[in-house]
Amino acid sequence: MNIVVCVKQVPDTATERKLRSDDSTIDRSANGVINELCEYAVEDALKLKEAHGGEVTVLTMGPDQATDAIRKALAMGADKAVHLSDEALHGSDALSTSYALSQALKKIGFDVVILGSESTDARTGMLAAMLAERLGVPQLTLASKIEVDGSAISIHRQTDYGYDKVEATLPAVVSVVEKPDPFKPRYPSFKGIMAAKKKPIEKIGVADAEIDPAQIGLAAAWSVVSDFTAAPPRGKGVVVNDEGDGGTKAAEFLVSKKFI
Amino acid sequence: MDFRLPESARAVRDGIGEICSHYDMSYWERCEADKRWPEEVWAELAKGGWLGLAVPEEFGGGGQGLLELTVATETLSASGSAGGSAFTYVLTPGFGAMTIARHGSPEQKAGLLPRLAAGEIETCFALTEPDAGSNSLAITTSARLDGSEFVVNGQKIWITGVQRATWMLLVTRTIPAAEARPRTNGLTVLLVNVPEAVAAGTLSYRPIPKMGANTTPSNMVFFDDLRVPARNVVGEVHGGAVVLWDILNPERILLGASALGGAEVALRVGVEYARQREVFGRPIGANQAIAFPLAAVKAKLELARLMLYKAAWLFDRGEPCGTEANIAKLTASQAFWEAADAAFQTHGGMAYSLEYPVARLLADARIGLVAPVTEQLLLNYLATQVLGLPRSF
Ligand SMILES: Cc1cc2nc3c(=O)[nH]c(=O)nc-3n(C[C@H](O)[C@H](O)[C@H](O)COP(=O)(O)OP(=O)(O)OC[C@H]3O[C@@H](n4cnc5c(N)ncnc54)[C@H](O)[C@@H]3O)c2cc1C
Repeated sequence: MNIVVCVKQVPDTATERKLRSDDSTIDRSANGVINELCEYAVEDALKLKEAHGGEVTVLTMGPDQATDAIRKALAMGADKAVHLSDEALHGSDALSTSYALSQALKKIGFDVVILGSESTDARTGMLAAMLAERLGVPQLTLASKIEVDGSAISIHRQTDYGYDKVEATLPAVVSVVEKPDPFKPRYPSFKGIMAAKKKPIEKIGVADAEIDPAQIGLAAAWSVVSDFTAAPPRGKGVVVNDEGDGGTKAAEFLVSKKFI
Repeated sequence: MDFRLPESARAVRDGIGEICSHYDMSYWERCEADKRWPEEVWAELAKGGWLGLAVPEEFGGGGQGLLELTVATETLSASGSAGGSAFTYVLTPGFGAMTIARHGSPEQKAGLLPRLAAGEIETCFALTEPDAGSNSLAITTSARLDGSEFVVNGQKIWITGVQRATWMLLVTRTIPAAEARPRTNGLTVLLVNVPEAVAAGTLSYRPIPKMGANTTPSNMVFFDDLRVPARNVVGEVHGGAVVLWDILNPERILLGASALGGAEVALRVGVEYARQREVFGRPIGANQAIAFPLAAVKAKLELARLMLYKAAWLFDRGEPCGTEANIAKLTASQAFWEAADAAFQTHGGMAYSLEYPVARLLADARIGLVAPVTEQLLLNYLATQVLGLPRSF
């Protein structure tokens, strides 16, 4: 099975994250880590490979520093990587990113594309759906479990009441969610890290993937950041004294803040 | 000269660092408080091949050496486990795997190394006796050949990790110290199957209630006509000294690495508090009386790191490393102790509260000046062996 897993490098959520002052895009210059849900995607890809054989290819779109995220995925056990990197891609929004990735995916070829259901930087959560549409294949989103049987693929989609079983035919796009132990992403092993250094990373640009420059980058973006301000500092908390009506008071507070 | 770590050692730092980033200080504090082995971390270390780093590849290991183990121990310790808990890493990947890989017979290697690398079995090391600590050549635990077996009698003390060990590297005398010429002659290292010996009633042990490092108990051990097959000799009969030096030098380096990691933890804890705590309207770290001890520790721990890596590098090249190992151990242990002391003073009264990690760090740091070799004995070595000064003992 030809499995492609999309992996994104994001600014570390444990550190202070910034937008660039010149063009309001995310500052990707420092503290890049692999997006946490992408690690789950890699884990699921590796499990599929272990069960059905084949090859896992990592696909990343991002600046040069994104190689760190790629190496991590390779250290976990992916076989090779394609790194789509081009100055022209800078500032692409979700729509143009899905276009660029779909072009790269057409080049690579795939039976299944797996990606995290969202990234911790932009948090649009739309990429999987957009990608499936662009590729003209079924989308199976928010999967907590993936099963493949011949050309049939099915997932469990977590719901409030349990899970829905969603089925489709390969090729398909799957987005995955966080899962508890023992389904957490594996740590790279010593041999995995050493081997990753020797695995091939193919660097491609916009032209190699036959991407139309008019449809990517800041200029082509459908969404525009017109302004931004820092989050206000947290105000003083409210203490509710429970005189038998604590529950009501707490609920009233939440209503007043439009939380419920 | 190239001061960069080789790729293999960087892989160790990154890989173990990543595992440890999911187990914070409070995890290690809970292990210590509950006197509990860090099972979760141990399982991850085993899964990732980190326990078999120094086991040759043909036996399922990583094929690396002491430098990689040093970086592993340092990383584990610096993540928050600090000095005491780093025994986790030294007993089996260090003592067991390295010693068998270097000195084991072909059968010992084939039988033990793959299982050590996989984390299926663990080892401990028994040298110290009630009347032989610093003067370790004076041990009296005896092994007498009887047919194809040695019969062992005697007593050991402070033996750490017996509870989990399948195999004990036991240092015995096959020639009593008084008759041995030179005194290093007549030592024999035996591999003892601990559960079997316990079942046979020929080995028993009792944990010693202790001040810290409680993730791994230390014990009094008693041998009563313990029978050990002659094929379980590691190295040569009477020639155990060669094996012993190859245990003691790595032990110094690895426990030095654990002290170095501990120093980093203590420094981190101290600096953070010095930055946050305000007295007289300013952070206490703005006072040089608080800042300088922390800065001095930083200088010392960086020096210790260089010497640790150098000593490990020499060992891996098969070159003499005694002087470097001793200097590294001395400096790293002192750095940890001074870091814990500075962190303590920085915390004021709060250091005494068990809500802060400082008390634990202080207890961990103190062992380093005593075990596996005391500060005085390290200085004795430098004075007599390196500087050529006369020996007083
Ligand atoms: C937590 C812990 C774990 C341990 N784990 C193990 C283990 O797993 N296996 C094992 O075999 N051992 C272990 N040990 C034992 C350790 O190696 C010994 O405690 C150490 O070697 C010191 O020996 P001693 O305690 O007999 O001290 P002693 O030798 O009695 O020394 C007492 C004091 O006298 C000083 N002194 C002695 N002679 C001289 C001299 N000539 N000049 C100046 N000063 C001198 C020493 O420096 C020391 O300060 C452990 C110890 C501890 C505390």
